[in-house]
Amino acid sequence: MTKVSMTVNGKARSAEVPDNTLLVDYIRENLRLTGTHVGCDTSQCGACVVHVDGQAVKACTMLAVSAQGSDITTIEGVAASKNELHPMQLAFKENHGLQCGFCTPGMIMTATDMVERYKAAGKELDEQSIREELEGNICRCTGYHNIVKSIADGASKMNA
Amino acid sequence: MSEGIGTRVLRKEDKRFLTGKGRYTDDIVEPNQAYAAFVRSPHAHAEINGIDKSAALAMEGVVDVLDGHQLTGDEIGNIICGWGITSKDGTPMNMGAWSALATAKVRYVGDAVCVVIADTKAQAQAAAEAVDVDYNVLPAVSNVLASMADGAPQIHENAPGNQIFDWEIGLKDETDAALAGAAHTTTMDITNNRLSPNPMEPRSAVATYNEAEDHYTLYTTSQNPHVARLVLSAFYNVAPEHKLRVIAPDVGGGFGAKIYIYPEEITCLWASMKTERSIKWTSTRSEAFLTDAHGRDHVSTATMGFDANNKIVGFKVNTKANLGGYMSLFSSSVPTYLYATLLSGQYNIPAVYADVQTYYTNTVPVDAYRGAGRPEASYLVERMMETAARELGVDPGELRRANFVQEFPHQTPVIMAYDSGDFAGNLDQAKAAADVAGFEGRKAEAARRGKLRGLGYSNYIEACGIAPSAAVGSLGAGVGLWESAEVRVNPVGTIEILTGSHSHGQGHETTFAQLVSDRFDLPTDNIQIVHGDTDKVQFGMGTYGSRSGAVGMSAISKALDKVEAKVKKIAAHVLEASEDDIVIEGGEVKVKGTDKAMGWHEVGLSAYTAHNLPEGMEPGLKEGAFYDPTNFTFPAGCYICEVEVDPKTGVTEIVQFTASDDFGTIINPMIVEGQVHGGIAQGIGQALLEHAVYDDDGQLLSGSYMDYTMPRADDLPFYNVNHHSTECPGNPLGMKGCGEAGAIGSPPAVINAITSAIGNNNLSMPATPAKVWAAINEVSAAQAAE
Amino acid sequence: MDMSGEYRIEASIDQVWAAIQNPDILKAAIPGCEELDKTSDTEMSAKVSLKIGPVKAKFAGEVELQDMIEPTSLKIQGEGKGGIAGFAKGGADVQLAADGDETILTYTAKAQVGGKIAQLGSRLIQSTAAKLADKFFANLKDQLANT
Repeated sequence: MTKVSMTVNGKARSAEVPDNTLLVDYIRENLRLTGTHVGCDTSQCGACVVHVDGQAVKACTMLAVSAQGSDITTIEGVAASKNELHPMQLAFKENHGLQCGFCTPGMIMTATDMVERYKAAGKELDEQSIREELEGNICRCTGYHNIVKSIADGASKMNA
Repeated sequence: MSEGIGTRVLRKEDKRFLTGKGRYTDDIVEPNQAYAAFVRSPHAHAEINGIDKSAALAMEGVVDVLDGHQLTGDEIGNIICGWGITSKDGTPMNMGAWSALATAKVRYVGDAVCVVIADTKAQAQAAAEAVDVDYNVLPAVSNVLASMADGAPQIHENAPGNQIFDWEIGLKDETDAALAGAAHTTTMDITNNRLSPNPMEPRSAVATYNEAEDHYTLYTTSQNPHVARLVLSAFYNVAPEHKLRVIAPDVGGGFGAKIYIYPEEITCLWASMKTERSIKWTSTRSEAFLTDAHGRDHVSTATMGFDANNKIVGFKVNTKANLGGYMSLFSSSVPTYLYATLLSGQYNIPAVYADVQTYYTNTVPVDAYRGAGRPEASYLVERMMETAARELGVDPGELRRANFVQEFPHQTPVIMAYDSGDFAGNLDQAKAAADVAGFEGRKAEAARRGKLRGLGYSNYIEACGIAPSAAVGSLGAGVGLWESAEVRVNPVGTIEILTGSHSHGQGHETTFAQLVSDRFDLPTDNIQIVHGDTDKVQFGMGTYGSRSGAVGMSAISKALDKVEAKVKKIAAHVLEASEDDIVIEGGEVKVKGTDKAMGWHEVGLSAYTAHNLPEGMEPGLKEGAFYDPTNFTFPAGCYICEVEVDPKTGVTEIVQFTASDDFGTIINPMIVEGQVHGGIAQGIGQALLEHAVYDDDGQLLSGSYMDYTMPRADDLPFYNVNHHSTECPGNPLGMKGCGEAGAIGSPPAVINAITSAIGNNNLSMPATPAKVWAAINEVSAAQAAE
Repeated sequence: MDMSGEYRIEASIDQVWAAIQNPDILKAAIPGCEELDKTSDTEMSAKVSLKIGPVKAKFAGEVELQDMIEPTSLKIQGEGKGGIAGFAKGGADVQLAADGDETILTYTAKAQVGGKIAQLGSRLIQSTAAKLADKFFANLKDQLANT
């Protein structure tokens, strides 16, 4: 067992966990933040994407102890306040970018990271870039049509 | 009203999913919860000589290790197939026994042998590794051709030659005669590839036995919690119905894989009683590949005959279907009544005959996956039509048009009576939207870039809302396929709709509310849809086969009729007017042509205070309905796929995909389009990427997302989705169903486009770059030899 | 899965024949071998730790030498259980031929894997197995060179 401490959605959190605890299990089981999902066991599906120190990370590929001292944002923490949606969340709603909702948190965490990275690099986030950037996020419901539209719309909302 | 039928209302359910507040089964934690891990067979076929649990039982945190002998000792029943099929010779199908935990023999890799219950998930998994099962490994078969061969290993004692049934439908002699006299015949061998459904949420169960009340609660990832409760009670003897509550909370996609009651739910409920702990089990993706029922896996030969005017005179099909190691819940109906009844396609064919043989193999059971039988039928019919057009030297769209059914109702030779449609209208709309006229120019332009461009059609028809119950009962179904609804108007006028349908991505909370909003002119915010809990909702049949609109919403509509009648009676009484003059609009119940009105909420209050009701009227405002349709519904449409193939690599790019669908009445176009998008993506996945592969020894080789190719965003285009609808005469709303059409219609369009582009019709799904490259080179080699 | 290979070993045919039945040499030569005990003249039990793609497992197995024609050919039959990782079994026909002071060893092998190794590692098995075989014979050469 090791004590881990990190900031999660702006709050300091710490717990004693077995050394082999994955970050995603720490988030789901210890912190009971169940918006971060587990859809596979080979790090392909992207349902568990969170932000670690501002970067999108598949939380199933990282040990909780490796995130010691990090600043973590999960889907529960992306919106500025309880009563409003993040612009990317709003874009997914307005463009029907979700159906069963299971891949959605990972999609949104990937999408916001994508927009920030392209903005920082001064690159245009066009349709083809969005599709390529979604390589690590699988959706079985939407055929991606409305997800790609949502992310394009979310990007303009975030950059507005 | 802006939220009624036909309006693009944004989804009511979205906020919880967008903010991480959805409540899926694995999110639920019960007090005193333990975890289950299953010990699964690594062998495709083996006898169990013995199980040594001692090392596992001694490990930290282990509560118990339970096996199949204990399970059957407690009289937990075998898993059933709910649709009986009778063979040609009148004998019933050969259903082999399937215990939730295997006792004597395992029949596929992943077959559960034991369950380990421990305090934590990690402890349960570690202890499962320590259970030592001694197997006597037997030879195995993994495909129908091996299974039916002489001397093949026998999988179930009561299924000689591994055959489950040999069934037929249609007009045999007439079809043979028609083909014998045909001016042209087209014959093809066609396989339909095996698929893994892969809803993104893995299956999960949380089972709790309350000893004091002798009562069980099961949270589970189910498309039909009511049927789950019925089957768990009546057939598996887990608990009587009134002592079992089944809840399917938010469910992350189903696509058929979550219709069935699997060994794990049964075992968790039973283990909860044995250990007096709540038991949670959540499938890993690796387990999902091994144990979620797969789909398709047909091998067929088909011959279609045409007269001198290119009219189809007959169609004969033989299909061999792989049903896996055991018969899953609806497995027998998929390659029979859900498949062969659609072999007439959109066409007027005087003689159709099909016979189907099904076999056991040492693979996971095969059952309904999005489309279930209908994709197999449309793939066969539409590959045949395209191929015949090429052979006859006619335009593939026009060959179809010449054979379309044009008058309704139309009785096919294979049971179905099509009730409505405008197939030529869908073809014309799709051709215009796809700019078929400009195709030759695009093809020439692609050729200048070194690409092979092709265009393929698919004019699919399917059948949804399986019904009526008496008819499906006579065909062997073990259940009725009606749906139920209850409409509760609360004393303050808000409304709850209790439905037997279940939403796992389809957006029922929005569309069902729109139906009520449309009827009573109320905002959807005042309407709540309640589903998925057997303690809250009356018995219902669940969601599969695109039935929730045509059947589920029709039941709601019937219950709304009763509420509306009572509201009008109350208002007429209070306002001293005739019922016929009462109208409901703008949140009020009014007397037409006067200023006399009651607020909608006042009617509710009147019903519940019961201070001033018409004489003899019962208080309250709550009505229920059970709706049993009079016929199937027949969604149909035309899909046109345009591809570019790189001859150097064999890589196919879908450059344009156009759909024209006839779904009848559409409640929310945004949601319907989303359903079509997802269906087409799964169809393109089947056509280009997906294949569940077992080796000859029955080991699953495509058992993870590293080897089973799920469609990603950059494999797919934007889809051009259009509607050209005819109203369904069979239900009060005129709806046909939209959930499966995309997956049913798209695979043949894709393969027809690729084979057209490369000039070689010898191509099977999935059309991977390696296969397409080989097919291109087969043509080049043949040309070089000439 | 079928494999075959040919190796030139700088030792006499009799030395090679003896080496492939010597538990100490085999233990040192088999990649990942942790234990190897002779249980009879022709039978051995072994514990081998292996990594195939994402699956890492410890296999406990039995090895039997069959059809021995000294010093030119024998058949090696083996079966190992790796717990939840699955199982592996197979056989190899080994031929030895003297070439001056050296020995040419050729083999053809058939192997079957099941369970998680087949499910997750099937793409990598052929290449991993070939690599392991190469490593085994390289180690065997080293062992013979040292004796």
